[in-house]
Amino acid sequence: MPGASGQVILAVDDSASMRQMVRYTLEGAGYKVVQAADGVEALEFAKTSPADLVLTDVNMPRMDGLTLVRELRALADYRFTPMLVLTTESGQDTKQRGKQAGATGWIVKPFNPEQLLATIAKVL
Amino acid sequence: MSTSHEPIAPTDDTAGQTPAEWTPERQIAQMLGLCEAQMESALAESDQAVDALIEAFTGLHKTTQALQTIARDLSPELRNQLGDKLEQRVNAIQEQMSAAVVAFQFYDKLTQRLGHVRYSLTSLAMFVCNRTQTSKRESWQRLFNTLGRLYRTEEEREIFQLMVQGASVEDARAKAERHVQREPNRAGEIELF
Repeated sequence: MPGASGQVILAVDDSASMRQMVRYTLEGAGYKVVQAADGVEALEFAKTSPADLVLTDVNMPRMDGLTLVRELRALADYRFTPMLVLTTESGQDTKQRGKQAGATGWIVKPFNPEQLLATIAKVL
Repeated sequence: MSTSHEPIAPTDDTAGQTPAEWTPERQIAQMLGLCEAQMESALAESDQAVDALIEAFTGLHKTTQALQTIARDLSPELRNQLGDKLEQRVNAIQEQMSAAVVAFQFYDKLTQRLGHVRYSLTSLAMFVCNRTQTSKRESWQRLFNTLGRLYRTEEEREIFQLMVQGASVEDARAKAERHVQREPNRAGEIELF
């Protein structure tokens, strides 16, 4: 399992159970996890605090994940931050929109904990 | 749970409605609303059960971490006797917990899919009450297009497409299952840009 010395990951998902599963996986590997229930909440956090990586769902109320990625890329602190999209959407069109918005990668749910950790370690 | 389906004596549960209120469309809308409400109630109940499961899962995780600490702090003698065995057991639990993480996510997927069904039922209930809309083919097409955009997973899209093209429920389900088996499972797929 890749090591992580307290790097901060901003995990964004409107499903409480998904946030729990992500938190369990990432904290177990030594990451510090900050959770947000939608894009608006995540953006509020990002405007005042940095994160080493963003992991976001796509379909969420108030602000979706792709808009969040676009908004974050406009912030100086997040211009080069790795941003992974974690979603049930596997269509090429949506993936392409994610790439254009500035996402670093795309993971189709359900995620495998070991693979998620390996991917995070690769992009950090 | 009772599974008997004894004949129900006919009663008029719509007796409270005035003749002006009673329309076939309104009855259809009420039945669709009933399906939606039953689904919402069942989901709320399941959410509570899943919350309890997640709490138990979190507890199990903490216990495993405590066992890891115990294994690490064993005296050299005990480590020789137990160390490897304890570590192997802890690793086995962790592997099973990883499998549980994947399984939990299918509940999330189910909730999402049922959310789309609920939205479809509510939209249809509102639609059928408007006779001007229901008599126009293009209005139905617009409704189909709106509902079609809801679906996010391959399975949902496949069933929707087949049904819109006129397949029966059974055929659509069977064909969608065959399609999903034929196509590579995209769950867990990772692509870095």
